[in-house]
This record gives sequence, C-alpha cells and structure tokens, in this order.
Amino acid sequence: MSAPVVEGRHLAKVYPMPAGPVEALRDVSVAVQAGDYVAISGPSGCGKSTLLHILGCVDAPSSGDLLFEGRPVAALRDHERTRLRLRRIGFVFQRFYLLPMLTAFENVEIVQSEAGVAAAERRARTAELLAYVGLADRAAHRPSQLSGGEMQRVAIARALANRPALVLADEPTGELDDETGEQIAEVFDRVNRDGTALVIVTHNPALAARAKRRLHMRSGRLAPPAREAAR
Amino acid sequence: MRPLPFAWRSLSRQPARAVLGLAGITVVGALLFDMLMLSRGLLLSFREILESTGYDVRVTATDALPGLGPPIAEARAAARALGSLPEVADVVPVRFGSVSVRGADGRTASVALLGTETRRRGEWRVLRGSDLVEGTEPPSIVVNRAMAQELGAEPGAVVEVATVLPAQPFRVAGVVEFPFETAGEASATVTLDGFARAVGGVAADEADLLLVASRPGHGAEAAVAAIRAARADLHPFSTEQVLERLRQGEFSYFRQVSFVLSTITSFFAFLLVTTLLTVSVNQRLGEVAALRALGFPRRRIAADLFAESALLVGAGGALAIPLGLALARVLDAILRQMPDVPARLHFFVFEPRALALHAALLAGACLVAAAYPALLTARLPIAATLRRETLS
Amino acid sequence: MDVHLVPLLALLLLLASAAAEPAPGILVSRTLLRDRGLEVGDVVRLSADPRGAGAREFRIAGTYEPAPDPSRFTSKRYEVRLHLPDLLALQGGEAEGDSVGAVNIALADPADAEAYARELRARAPGVAVAPTTAGDDAHFLVIERFHLAISLVTVVGSTAFLLALMVIRADERREVAGLLRLLGVSRRRVLAQALVEGFCIAAAGAGFGVVFAAATQGAVNAFFQWRYDTTLVFVRVTPAIAAWCVALALPLGVLAGLVASWTLLRRPVLELLRR
Repeated sequence: MSAPVVEGRHLAKVYPMPAGPVEALRDVSVAVQAGDYVAISGPSGCGKSTLLHILGCVDAPSSGDLLFEGRPVAALRDHERTRLRLRRIGFVFQRFYLLPMLTAFENVEIVQSEAGVAAAERRARTAELLAYVGLADRAAHRPSQLSGGEMQRVAIARALANRPALVLADEPTGELDDETGEQIAEVFDRVNRDGTALVIVTHNPALAARAKRRLHMRSGRLAPPAREAAR
Repeated sequence: MRPLPFAWRSLSRQPARAVLGLAGITVVGALLFDMLMLSRGLLLSFREILESTGYDVRVTATDALPGLGPPIAEARAAARALGSLPEVADVVPVRFGSVSVRGADGRTASVALLGTETRRRGEWRVLRGSDLVEGTEPPSIVVNRAMAQELGAEPGAVVEVATVLPAQPFRVAGVVEFPFETAGEASATVTLDGFARAVGGVAADEADLLLVASRPGHGAEAAVAAIRAARADLHPFSTEQVLERLRQGEFSYFRQVSFVLSTITSFFAFLLVTTLLTVSVNQRLGEVAALRALGFPRRRIAADLFAESALLVGAGGALAIPLGLALARVLDAILRQMPDVPARLHFFVFEPRALALHAALLAGACLVAAAYPALLTARLPIAATLRRETLS
Repeated sequence: MDVHLVPLLALLLLLASAAAEPAPGILVSRTLLRDRGLEVGDVVRLSADPRGAGAREFRIAGTYEPAPDPSRFTSKRYEVRLHLPDLLALQGGEAEGDSVGAVNIALADPADAEAYARELRARAPGVAVAPTTAGDDAHFLVIERFHLAISLVTVVGSTAFLLALMVIRADERREVAGLLRLLGVSRRRVLAQALVEGFCIAAAGAGFGVVFAAATQGAVNAFFQWRYDTTLVFVRVTPAIAAWCVALALPLGVLAGLVASWTLLRRPVLELLRR
C-alpha cells in the first residue's frame, strides 16, 4: 500500500500567549490517503484551521511528525516546503483571496506560471479548469465582476491548477448562501471523484456530510462525532 | 506573470494612490535632478567660459583671485619670459580697472575696464564694427552692448574716460561680447597703453593677470610646472586648478545647498514610496499570506514589491527629467539675477553625469523603499495571518 | 576715517623680530590670526609688493571679526585694518599723493542715501557713488527668491504626498464610511470627519516640521558656520516663518482630506461596503 498523501502523527501545537501558552492541538494523528475526502468540523477555536494549516505545510507543529507522501516535512527547508505547496497542495480559502487586479483566467494561470509550466500548456490547462468549474464564459472577468460562488469556483480551479495530490479548503462555503454552497460542494465532489484527496474544514453540515470521512474536533483533540460515536 | 507586469496591475488597482505617488516622486525627482545639475553647474559653466577665451593658464602675483591682489610688476618682461618657454604658446597681460566714461551725448556711466593686447584668441567676440587696434589716436576701445546702449557708444563714436583729468578720449572700434561680462554692466577693453592713460597714476608696466595658452601637445599642467620653475615669484593656475579652487571656495555654497537638498529629496522619495508600499502591503496581508500558502516563494513576493517600487520610481524619475529641466530654467533665471554674475554663467547645467546620478539615487531610494515592505512580507507568518484575516 | 581695511591678499605678511622702535598698530582678522599662528603683540611685516619690496613693520594691536558678508562668506577673510596714513605710506610709490580707494560716508538719515548718491553723482562726475545697502539687498533678494522657489516645489511634492496619505486613509475607512452612510449618517457628516482628520494631520505635520526646524537650526548653522568659518546665520526659524508654514499646511491638509474623501463618498453605499 502506498504512503498516505499526508500523515500527521501525534501532532501538537502550542501558541505562546501573554496569559500563558494555549494548546491548539493535542496529540492529533490523522492520515489522508490518495482519493480520500475528509471533512473536519467542530466548534470555533477547537483547532480545525490549525490542523489544516499544519497538513498544508504552512505551519509547523510544536511536536509530532508530519509526513507528506512519505517524506518528513520537518526535514524540508523553507523553500522546499514552498515548492511542495506550489506543486502538490492546493488551497481554497473562505475569503477566496483571488487577486483583484487579475482576471479569472489570470488568477488560475499565475500559479502555473510560478511553477514553470510552459505558456501554451498553462493556457490550455486554465481554459480546461475554468470549463471544469463552469466558468468558461467568465474567464475575462475580474473578481469584482464575479459573484461569491463564482469567485470560489475560480479559487477551486486555481487550487487544482498544478494537479495537486491534496486540496485543503478552509470554510469554503463560509461566505456563501446555502444554494451557492451546494454548488461549491458539488464541485468538490467532482474534484474528489477525479482522484484528488480533499480535506475540508467546515461548519456546514451539508458539506461535511458529502465527505467520505468526517472528523470532529473539540479542544484541540480529534473526537468522533457524537452521533457516530453512539453507533 | 512576471513581477513587472504583476506590479503594473497592482498599481493600477489603486489608480488614485499610484498617480499621487507618481506625482510626488515626479516633483521631488525634478528637484533632485535640479540639485544634481546645480552641484556642478557653476563649474561646468565657468569652465566653458574660461575655455572659450583660448587660454588655459592664468598667472597672478599672489594666490589672490585676479583683480583682488597686487599686480604683477614688470609685466611685459614677465610675459616675454613666459612666452619663451617651450610649453607656452602665447601670453597676454591683462589689467582690470573701474572708470567713469562719458558718452558723446554727455551721459556718463561706470565702466569695468580691461587693458590688454589686441585680440588673438577668444578674449572677446566682435559683434559689430571692428576690433581693438594698437597705436591709434585717440586710442581704440571696444565696448560691450550694455555700454554701447547706455552711452550711445557705437563704432566710430568718441567717448571720454572722465576718471582722470583731463578726460581721455577713446574711439569706439567695435561692439563686442566679453566672456565674463555681467548682465547689464557696462564694460570695455582698451590696449595696455590706453589703460595706463585711462586710469592714470598707475604704473604702465603692470598686469593683474597674465593669460597663458599652453602649447598644443604639452598641456596646461606642463605649462604651469614650467612657469613655476622659471618664475617662482609668480602664481600660475591651470583651468583645472582654478576650477578646483572655486569648487572648494566660491562655488561651494551651492554645492552644499545641492547636497543637502539632494539628500532631503532622495529621503523624501524613499519615504513616499515606503509609505505607499507599506500601506498597500498592510492592506493585502491576507492576499500575500494566501499567495505564500499557494506556494509563492518569499523572493517572488519581494520581487513584486521591488517591481512596484521600480515602476513608481522609474516612471516618476523619467517624468522628473523634463519637469526638472523646465524647473531648472526658472531657478537658473532667478539665480542669474545675482549681482556681478557673468551673463554667460549658468547655475544649472545639464550633463550626463547628473542624469546618471539622478538614476542611481532614485534606484537607491527605490531599493531601500521596497526593503521594509519586502521584509514585512518575508516575515509574514502565513497561518497566523490567514487566521487573523478570516476573523477580521 | 582713520582706519582702512585692506584685503591681506594684497599684502605680504611676515613675522618679524621685535623692533626697537614701537611699530604702528594694526588689527588682524580672526581667521588670519589663527591660520598664520599670530598673536596679539606680535610684530609683522607688511608689504604692498608681492615680492616683499618696501615692507614695513606693524604690531598686532588686536583681532576682529570681519562683518559677515553673505556675498563673500565662501572666501577666507584674511584681512588687516591699519591707519590710513600707514596704508598710504605702505603703498608708497604706487599711490600718488593723498588718494584713497573709497570713502565711507555715514548720513544723519540713512533714508537719504539714494538722494544723496544721486546728488553727489551729479556734482562730481566720474565718482562712483553707491548706497552701501544696494548690493547686499540684491544678493539677499535673489537668494530669497531662489529659496522661495524651492519651497514652492517642496510644497507641491508634499501636497502630493499628503493627498496620497489621505487617499490611503480614506480607502482604509471605506467600509466604515459605507456603514455610516448605510446607517443614515449624511455625507456631510462623514466628510466633516475626514476634514477634521486632514486638518489634524496637517497641523501635526506642520507643527512637527516647525519644531524640527527650530530644533535643528542650531546644528545647521553650526555646520555652515564651521564649514565656512563665518559668523553668518544661515537658518533662522522666525515666528513669521513658522506662521507661514502652518498657514500653508492647514488649508492644504483640509483640501487633501476633502478631495480624498469626496472620491470615496461619491460612490454608492453598497459599493463602499463590498469587499
């Protein structure tokens, strides 16, 4: 069996605060296999986003081990982690974070350009991705000319641009209405069906329900959802 | 997308801010450019005037500037001695004086009078009439336009030097332009004999200055060395030495002003760009953190900022050049109203060096200005910023 | 007039051994005394000839600071003052009879200077007459105009800077302004807040500028006085200049606030609130 896309072992994260250290993560172990679809939910401040950031190699655990495709991330230098994020991980944010001065097309293209993809190839890939998220006719529009749902679909296309092994989404429907959130959830389903591992942090039960695995967090620890635990 | 087009898009995101930043840099850049032109303008302009005379060595009796110290005694013998040196091509004695001249119509004017030999090089330029000649009666005199206008002293007219009694008549040979004449100031040149007559009571065989032309192939420095060796009692200065002395002394105030204002304007440009970029970065920290999370390396984010800075400063610096040139004309016109300034002297003179320095200083300001915001983004904690931005 | 000033560049100055007969006294400028290592009481030899011919001995009776001259401050003031008869005697063969280069005249009423000069010129053709203030005034006027022109340019640059700052501030408060407008606060009220802010920034900037200039004027003067070895005062922050500075900055600040805010407030409320 091949190594998980990402695996955290006994992860802990402590934030030093003036009033005393805050333990955001306590002994969390999690593995995401290729093609997996994991939803993490839990109350605000329980450590979901912290876990997502650690899995996405943008934050380092205070203790514990993180392995990405079998390689210990702690051994990677900063620029190697950056390169890893660029090529193997895609991010989708609650606030989209599209570059407002670029068109939808350019927003998707720019990450490929940074990864050194040839111009012709990245143009074809961008067109393909925008069609994939249903925005082929909005390629020339800037974020300010798009709705929230459309912006998030562009962000998903951007996350997929470099054919990552893992896509991480932090409250991707947090700023969207239910109907639009549903559309986004369908896009995520398709992304996962097409073989990309997904980890989504969400408060949205409908979105979480679509995941193959649901993890619940409370006070920095992973806990089975009450309903599932009762089974 | 490369950093430069990316920076262009970033700037066009906030057009009002970018235009105002550009305007600020253009104005301070123009002032910087002017100050760089001022720093050496006087020297360049003065050099041009000195060289236009065709003489590259000036000899005086003491270290004093010509006309401010005692004259050289036995000037003709000294001139002959220097003229016989192999390094020297030509020597001309010059006397300075100030006289009161009465025109044919009875009007009088104070006139700066030079006594010298007939023109051999570029001592003056004849505008109308003929040139100064020796041995005429009454003696010949060439006058500048201001004197011609003030006293109606056109070629052929007779004017009287009224400082001495009885008044001495001179016939105007021509109207000329002197390299060092002051705007609006009446000045004239006569022969050495004529000068002795005009000022009276002054020993005829004296000179305030010996103008020396070095022989081609030897150069001014060789001529200076030869003169020093031959006549230790005389003080020869090459054009370069004269200019260096002026740089250290008489012209140094404008160099200081130019240095102070160049520093201030460079600092101002830096402050302006740093403020704009820092605020801009602070307003899009979430965006920067997201880009970093997406795998954009620190150097790319920094490169974008440097490119933004370069665009602002580069465009502002380029626009500053025509504006600076126009502003320099205005400032030059103001400074040239100063009393006793030769009409041909300019304070602001364009030279490629000023342009290169202007570019270098602005490039420095651009780099330093982008350094702080670049550091901010490089040190940006990605996860913490994303968390904070989501909560805000 | 019994004392005459001579630029020392016209004289040869040599230290001499103590003379048997008391030599006439002279005053030596501070810079000359210092640079040549002279002391009060020293006997020196002065000559009008660059080769030292006809030198006479003089005793340094004292030292003096030449009157600061804005048109000559870049030059070293190597000067001595001696009694007119001594100078005439020193110039010996050159000066025929009782001749002087210039005569200074003090009028009972300095305001009559121009009229007096005109009259003297008419009565004594050939004599150059000029009120002593004329040249200095021209120098000062030109320098003042030059500095004023530079000030204007810096004001334009500063205004662009201030406007950029105010645009940034206005942009930062876009959402707050939108929210206030949404809550029913009038444009005028929001604008007034921006004007007050612009006024405060300009007042603080101008105040800081004046205080900074006043605090550093001593250092600037000290530097230039050291550099040029002069007692001239180069920078003086007077109440009038401070008032000018503030009076210019405040309207500009208010104007910058107005322009920056207006560009924001003329947009529809919902556009202001849109992220």
